[in-house]
Amino acid sequence: MSDEMWVNMGPQHPFNHGLWNLRVRLNGETITAAEPIIGYLHRGWEKMVENRTYSQIVPLADRLCYGSSLSWNHLYCLSAERLYGVEAPTRAKYIRVVALELQRITSHLCWLMAVGTDLGSYTIMTWTIRERELFLDLLCQLSGARMTYNYCRIGGVRSDIPENFERDVNRTLDEFEKRLRDIEALCDENEPFLMRTVGIGKIDAKTAMNLGLTGPIMRASGVEMDLRRLDPYEVYQDMKFDICYATDGDVYARYRVRIDEMRESAKIVRQALAEMPKGPVRVKVPRCPPKGTVACHVEDPRGESLMYIVSDGTERPYRLKVRSPNFVNLSASPAMLLGFKISDVPAIMGVMDMCIGETDR
Amino acid sequence: MRIEEKRYTKTDHFRATGYVLKTMKVTFKGLVRATKHRPCTIMYPWEKLIYPDNFRGRPGIILEKCIGCARCAKECPNKCIEMVQLELPNVGKVKRPQVNLGRCMMCGNCAEACPTNAMIVTPEFELSSYNRADLIFDPIKLQHPYKPGYEVNYQFALLSEMNGGEVKTYAKNDPNVHDTVLLEGGKCISCGRCAKICPTGAVELVETGELNPKTKKPIKWPKFDNTKCVICEQCVEVCPKSALTIKEVL
Amino acid sequence: MSTLYHELTNFTEWLLGLVASLLDWTKLGFLSDFGDWLQTEPVVTLVATLLVAVIFLITAMMFGLCFIWEERKFLGRFMDRRGTQVGMLGFFQNFADGIKVVLKEHIVPKDSDHALFEMAIFAYLASTFMLFGCIPFSDNFAVFPNVNLAVLLGIAIFSFGPFAILVGGWASNNKFTLIGGMRAAAQLIALEIPLLLCVVSVVVLTGDLSFVGIVSWQEHNIWLIVPLFIGAVTFFVASVGESERIPFDLPEAEAELVEGWATEYGDVRWGLQMASDYFRAYILCGLFTMLFLGGWAGPDFIWAEAWYLAKTFIVFFFFIWVRAATVRIRTDQILKLGWRRLLPLAVLNLFVAIALKLAGVF
Repeated sequence: MSDEMWVNMGPQHPFNHGLWNLRVRLNGETITAAEPIIGYLHRGWEKMVENRTYSQIVPLADRLCYGSSLSWNHLYCLSAERLYGVEAPTRAKYIRVVALELQRITSHLCWLMAVGTDLGSYTIMTWTIRERELFLDLLCQLSGARMTYNYCRIGGVRSDIPENFERDVNRTLDEFEKRLRDIEALCDENEPFLMRTVGIGKIDAKTAMNLGLTGPIMRASGVEMDLRRLDPYEVYQDMKFDICYATDGDVYARYRVRIDEMRESAKIVRQALAEMPKGPVRVKVPRCPPKGTVACHVEDPRGESLMYIVSDGTERPYRLKVRSPNFVNLSASPAMLLGFKISDVPAIMGVMDMCIGETDR
Repeated sequence: MRIEEKRYTKTDHFRATGYVLKTMKVTFKGLVRATKHRPCTIMYPWEKLIYPDNFRGRPGIILEKCIGCARCAKECPNKCIEMVQLELPNVGKVKRPQVNLGRCMMCGNCAEACPTNAMIVTPEFELSSYNRADLIFDPIKLQHPYKPGYEVNYQFALLSEMNGGEVKTYAKNDPNVHDTVLLEGGKCISCGRCAKICPTGAVELVETGELNPKTKKPIKWPKFDNTKCVICEQCVEVCPKSALTIKEVL
Repeated sequence: MSTLYHELTNFTEWLLGLVASLLDWTKLGFLSDFGDWLQTEPVVTLVATLLVAVIFLITAMMFGLCFIWEERKFLGRFMDRRGTQVGMLGFFQNFADGIKVVLKEHIVPKDSDHALFEMAIFAYLASTFMLFGCIPFSDNFAVFPNVNLAVLLGIAIFSFGPFAILVGGWASNNKFTLIGGMRAAAQLIALEIPLLLCVVSVVVLTGDLSFVGIVSWQEHNIWLIVPLFIGAVTFFVASVGESERIPFDLPEAEAELVEGWATEYGDVRWGLQMASDYFRAYILCGLFTMLFLGGWAGPDFIWAEAWYLAKTFIVFFFFIWVRAATVRIRTDQILKLGWRRLLPLAVLNLFVAIALKLAGVF
């Protein structure tokens, strides 16, 4: 139809966080076709690491995602450990769980900040980024950096937790849970926010599974899937926490799932800190792993992330494949967008928590 | 935990119940708080965040401690460290690391690999400059005043000891447990390059007691002093006949 | 006739008399005749009016800039940040921005309709600047204070703006600007009618269409926000929408349409467009003050103009507050809100006004 037009939303567009392009076909303001185009931030990460030794890849794995670098760092170290056939000491595992859950809260706050800008409320943005700062300080104490932590090591973590860390974390979490209620009031009690999110971008459980969606988006559609429970990796099998899921499958449900996940993360952090045993935090691993392959998946803040390493027995990996949750979620975006208005694009895509660093790799 | 069904099911959302009012109350509280206690902004060029001692800024070096073993250069993922010639007043001509900060990603791996803790991680992060040449920090420029906490220390356990009861932890570069260099005797041609390149003088050429059948001179093989060795692997790399290998302690 | 007008007429008479005597001094017949013509009443009135207009425009624009400053500082505090910092608690940031946009290059898109592209923005700005003249600060400080139909004139000029937006959006030859222009037109129609109905209810009660009449009625009876509370709320919501601010800033929703209809405008045109958003908000706050808050009426220990400005700033504080609290809503929701909620409320409010009038309460 000649009335329809293609609009390129990207690669330079205020709504996309990172470089990517969303082509939408509009009939009036209604979307009749959508086509995400990526590749603007392709750095050749998978090829690049084939020329690095295993220990050198650790800081590079941080760079996969700027929003939740520690979870990627950890995923690489975990899969390398499985390749080496070693296991981190128990204390290191607990420390990792603490760091990972702090990272999950940080990442979700960063996501809420982006949603706030997309929907036009800069108050949500500044308030969430203010709370995020508390956790950045904690992670900075732990690892020495605010964004790319480089904290996990193959066979443990970089160093033991600093002095008084447990006290600081508990205080921060108490304060954070108070402030999270304010932020919730900013969104949940806000009629315009609900008008923008409820009933938008609906995906039912079956479609979500068929499209390969993972993470909060899938849980919002009613699938109770969390790798921390289904395939526990560190010490998650000992942790008592609930899997947050909702059945509506719309943008509001995804928002709720993530907000409640932050609370669950706080719970896990408290528990892990209380139960943390004494002991070493790092073991020495050999330079070269044995020949073989390993695939390892964890629950990233955005979904299921996976690394697949092929080793030929030398000190560099033969091949390292990354499965990014965002890549799959993004490819499912046409199914969410069709039939909605162009004004819904920021709401739907913003709640997806885009991170182009890991999508393009 | 199943999240409750949403509270708002009507497609026609706007009801005259004033749901914005609660949000306005919360934001007004925010306004009062920010006015009373000052905003939480940190006015960057004048104020700075309080950073912990282990904050990872640019790498720095303490030249007195450096032995020029090049382990930092080997460990750097971005290959931004290069060993350059340097004339030091008391020591003479030596090789010391030069860091290209244009490429450095501040991962701190160099300081972690350093056996003598000469390479440190400084909290200096304001590094912008007008041209790229200024970003190449030679060893003299790389120096930074020392403060405890700048060096990266870690404790590790041995894999073989992990399974049985008591686990001992060892400090970084503990001479008792670190790796050793092995000599495969038959390959050695007694060139002495390993002894020449060794930064710590841990390699010594000693006579094996045999005589070279052609020249009738005594054959000298390198002997490694484990307490001095820092496993920089320079001898392994320089050996023309690949006679040296690393034996790992696990 | 107001005192300001009177003073300026005297000043103009003196000035023109000076010019005429200078011309007379040349001893040239036609110049002397010209000097005599200068001293006739129509010319004096015209020049005096122009002088009043210029003074008024500059003053009003300065207060428009104060609105930008107020929004920046208050929004900053709402968000727990500081807002602008350049000089005098950040007030000079406006001037820094102004200098910046003036120094920018003027870029016209290649395939745009050049003439319309240039005309549309000037039409928009002209309508904004004309609006300043409609809202008096007090019965003294005004361009035409006691003119009948002043309210209608203001609303009429106001509704011209979105037409310019539509033209500009189309002429830019950009899909985002086109959508933004269309949205502006749709939003205008949906919100203009409730706005006008609220004005009608005020007029029903006061029986006057001039600001002086409305304000003096309120001075003698009661501020109209009390009997016409529904109307005041409706007017407030509609005026937030009319001034295209969050939550109704769809014509320039930066998340979906890059900068809305103004995407292709650069340099000082964009800067003035941005400022004129605030000028329009200022006009609407002024209208709200006049219609519902008793305008410049207030205790006599301070100037009437100060009362008017204080009330306007307080109304604008509520604009900022709403902006800090809400998110942007969708086009269809705005239209639904305009037609299904605000229009019935405005009609209800009109009934209230008519009932009060018939019952003889006022």
